Amino acid sequence: MMNELEKLCLLDGISGDEGQVRDYIISRIKGKCEYHIDPLGSVIAFKKGRKTPDKKLLISAHMDEVGFIVNYITEDGFLKITPVGGIDPRVVFGRRVRVGEEKLIGVIGAKALHHLDGDERSKAPDFPEMYLDIGAADKAQAQEHIMLGDSAVFVSNFVRFGKGMVGCKAIDDRAGCAIMLDLIDSELEYDTYFTFVVQEEIGLRGSTAAAYTVDPDIAIVLEATTAADIPSASGEKKVCCVGKGPVVSFMDRSTIYDKGLYRLAFDTAEKLGIPCQTKTMVAGGNDAGAIHKSRGGVRACGISLPCRYLHSPSCVISESDFENTVKLVKAMLPKVYEV
Amino acid sequence: MSKTDTFELLKKLTAPMGVSGAEGSAAQAAASELDKFGSTEYDAATGNLFFRRKGWQEGRPVVMLDAHIDEIGFIVNYITDDGFLKVSSCGGIDRRMLLAQRVRIYGTKGEGRVLDGFTASVPPHLAKDYSKAAQVEEVLIDTGMSGDEVREYVCLGDRVLVENECTRLLGSRVTSKALDDRAGCAALIMAVAELDGEELGCNVAVTLTSQEEVGERGAKIAAFIVEPDAAIEVDVSFANTPDSDDEECVKMGSGVMIGISPSLSRKLSNDMRTLAQELSIPYTMEVMGRTTGTNADMISISKSGCPTVTLSIPERFMHTPAEVIDTDDIENTAKLIAEYLRRYTS
Repeated sequence: MMNELEKLCLLDGISGDEGQVRDYIISRIKGKCEYHIDPLGSVIAFKKGRKTPDKKLLISAHMDEVGFIVNYITEDGFLKITPVGGIDPRVVFGRRVRVGEEKLIGVIGAKALHHLDGDERSKAPDFPEMYLDIGAADKAQAQEHIMLGDSAVFVSNFVRFGKGMVGCKAIDDRAGCAIMLDLIDSELEYDTYFTFVVQEEIGLRGSTAAAYTVDPDIAIVLEATTAADIPSASGEKKVCCVGKGPVVSFMDRSTIYDKGLYRLAFDTAEKLGIPCQTKTMVAGGNDAGAIHKSRGGVRACGISLPCRYLHSPSCVISESDFENTVKLVKAMLPKVYEV
Repeated sequence: MSKTDTFELLKKLTAPMGVSGAEGSAAQAAASELDKFGSTEYDAATGNLFFRRKGWQEGRPVVMLDAHIDEIGFIVNYITDDGFLKVSSCGGIDRRMLLAQRVRIYGTKGEGRVLDGFTASVPPHLAKDYSKAAQVEEVLIDTGMSGDEVREYVCLGDRVLVENECTRLLGSRVTSKALDDRAGCAALIMAVAELDGEELGCNVAVTLTSQEEVGERGAKIAAFIVEPDAAIEVDVSFANTPDSDDEECVKMGSGVMIGISPSLSRKLSNDMRTLAQELSIPYTMEVMGRTTGTNADMISISKSGCPTVTLSIPERFMHTPAEVIDTDDIENTAKLIAEYLRRYTS
């Protein structure tokens, strides 16, 4: 499963440009289930189980990741970029990205350190002050390789480090995609719908359309969520902790989750003897926000991997949380109909 | 040297860790490039690498070519019980790039082991102000281990580095960590390589010196030992960006920057300019109103004083892991140095 996660994370797919991820997912599920691509680019899959339940279950994860879009080319051949999704501007300066159809390497720069005045030195540059250098000598050379609207994605390696830890870009939410691929590979008790959706990072847009299409009764959203378990945070400000199991939320900024499913998750974890935690702050949000309000309403559950440094080129999770999330989801599935 | 050779040389030189005070591996990589052209000696106590070109004859004037081998980085000063490292900076790190970076931790405990880690970023609910750059003292390095586990590999004083391997951009431009000043080291090695086998009127010493980023310390010691009659310092300087002032920067790819400053030898500056003009080597003049902020400041006042000139390679995003340089500028710098040595007469 770690190899699957690595493959998925290293694919480039910012919101609105998820093609590479979609192609890979299709290559993996072809012949194993029915699927179609919806008008926005989401993959909607249906896998037969041994039984057909009287309620429809949807499991959803998003394919897109945060990144940048080229909006201007200067006379000197520098590219100006706009963030796509919620990127902290302080994790952008001095980073390497891949940009455009040719996947050119570029670096994101700003005014030279030595030329900053007193106040400027303690300021983090904001997006309008940064630009992408691809080594072009001038605008004409840049235009030979780059078009306005091209995507730029953080360059990142899949790093296994420390004791059972993993760091890479795009773990949010290729981890969810990896778990769904694993479920599609396995024998299922009940018929299940899976949506690999687009455009989560710019406002839960792919899931809005996909949930309408599937029309589920129950939905489980698989995500990665902010873990702030670093020494500078304490108590509830840690939100959740890496290594302490899957995160099941009672509420975030987009959803108040179904109580029955919330309890089922914790009961199931207890029976399995695996750790399970909730978020100690009402923060963040995910596709459940769109799905639970779809049509006449959907009972929704959010199961997330605790992830440090979310929305940066260096998301960090633990392998044990990943494995325990897979176990929890698999054990929960047959029981959601009873809630 | 062909373009490919320059890139490959840069790749070899930039790869090793050489944070100030821990330059050994970087010096070794440079020594293996210089060995064929003369004799090298690494002084582990000071971190300086010395090279004497073949054909060294006692009594002849000595021209010293210097560049610094060290790079900016971090040094571990504390390990928390939950396994995060706190660090101080070695050199003037650009604070704007500190968060959510992949780092390598050069653990020296026991047999020594390089560990991967990440600098923590501060999640949105804790960040008070997105517009503030982090302080080095606030940086927490996530090792993915507990404090006790980390202490099996890492000691206080070990170095930590943000690494980016040397990679081509468009045309002749490249990006890497440590181009400041391995690009300068590359120019000196290329100049020596070009002159291989030629008779010269002077002895050529190359020094690749330590601890420039913390105050030009290695060069002070090296100049004392070499006792040069003239010195050429090669370092990086500022290339244009969209927000730069034309007075402070030159265009990337515009050739070697010849320094003029009250602290430098005006004769050497003029000689370099005349030579570049005569040979049509692309160049610009870099005028500084005071000292240069490079090793030249130390070398020029070593012992009884030594006429010194700076040659600079234009660079973007200095003191970040994303420095950018044009290899044409390195080649032109090397060419000018080689021609200067060919014509040297005391």
